[in-house]
Amino acid sequence: MKAKIFASLSVLITGAILLYAVTDFPDFGDPGSPPNAGVPGGAPSASRYYLENTYRDTKVPNVVTAVLADYRGYDTMFETVVILTAGIAIFAILRVLRRDDAPAAPDPDPARTDHTIDGDHHRIIVGTTCRIAAPLIQIFALYVVAHGHYSPGGGFQGGVMLGASFILLALSGSLRETLTRFSESDYMRMAFIGIVIYAGLGLLPMWVGRNFLDYGALSGLFMTKGEEMARSHSMLGVEIGVAVTVMSIMFAMFANLSTRGRLRGGL
Amino acid sequence: MIVTVLSILLIVTGLVFFLGAAVGLTRFPDFYCRMHAAGKGDTLSTLLVISGFAVYQLHGIDDFTEDWPVLLVVLKLLAVVVFIYLTSPTSTSALADAGWEDGIDPVIEPGHENHLEDDCRKPSSPQP
Repeated sequence: MKAKIFASLSVLITGAILLYAVTDFPDFGDPGSPPNAGVPGGAPSASRYYLENTYRDTKVPNVVTAVLADYRGYDTMFETVVILTAGIAIFAILRVLRRDDAPAAPDPDPARTDHTIDGDHHRIIVGTTCRIAAPLIQIFALYVVAHGHYSPGGGFQGGVMLGASFILLALSGSLRETLTRFSESDYMRMAFIGIVIYAGLGLLPMWVGRNFLDYGALSGLFMTKGEEMARSHSMLGVEIGVAVTVMSIMFAMFANLSTRGRLRGGL
Repeated sequence: MIVTVLSILLIVTGLVFFLGAAVGLTRFPDFYCRMHAAGKGDTLSTLLVISGFAVYQLHGIDDFTEDWPVLLVVLKLLAVVVFIYLTSPTSTSALADAGWEDGIDPVIEPGHENHLEDDCRKPSSPQP
């Protein structure tokens, strides 16, 4: 009880501080705000710099992706770490590793909790459609990831779609069957591999004495003519890292939340 | 010319089915009839309207060697059609089945109540 009061108080105070800080923001779309107009006599406008120079710097037509994955690479890297942390938190809170002191299952009837496909006509319809749809969704998700710097999309969106395809399989068939293909050790490992891909691409420029996440230095590694194309290619690599992490954490969240951390039975 | 006429025909037919689906959704007496109207009407009308869009795109093509990006748009629209054709009836089926298992009774003639007996159903619940 005491812990609950303390937690509620800290949440309320933090929320109040955040809400108070919102009032200091410039208006949405205000052309006179410092990011849009720059500081008079001081720094020039960041927005204008991005809009005018993104294509020259990175050869990426989608300015949003370029700002997200290149100019503000630190921010996106730690956003991905936030997602990983959320996944680890759910694992730490919900996952029941010992079976004997597990709380009661949501539905104790095994025939209903871990339903089988055969003998149930409507599950054949739903299961078959989902098995046809899941690869199509995954292909489209890969397209969204790979096309992120030319059209709307990118690692987060593609990763969410990849994760959703696994959730669809678990919902339409059974979670147990999906877990044999994408097991817990697999998805937790892949969640970290995504971060390693991102941070590793960021560390490589330090090898040749450049800054962390300064992808321009990778033009030798990617065998591109100029630094611009190296930055473009690195953005793709970074997006792949983000997508891997987001996909794994999405599925981890679904598996843990739908079974109360037991990874058996479920919806 | 013929392409425009064909696309207008497809889209207008689709809109007619949309209207039917909307009327059925509000006027039919029970869950299953409304599901039927929404599922069938929505699927067919969406298919027709999107096919109409695909046909309409064709009229910008004079020369296939130069206008292939338009053909890509047509192919993407057709892919959407195939996908809706697969998923929309499935979701209707899943919803209707969930309603049946949950004990939602259809409106039936008096004297045919034994049709409602099924092992996998929960006991009947009042019509929402």
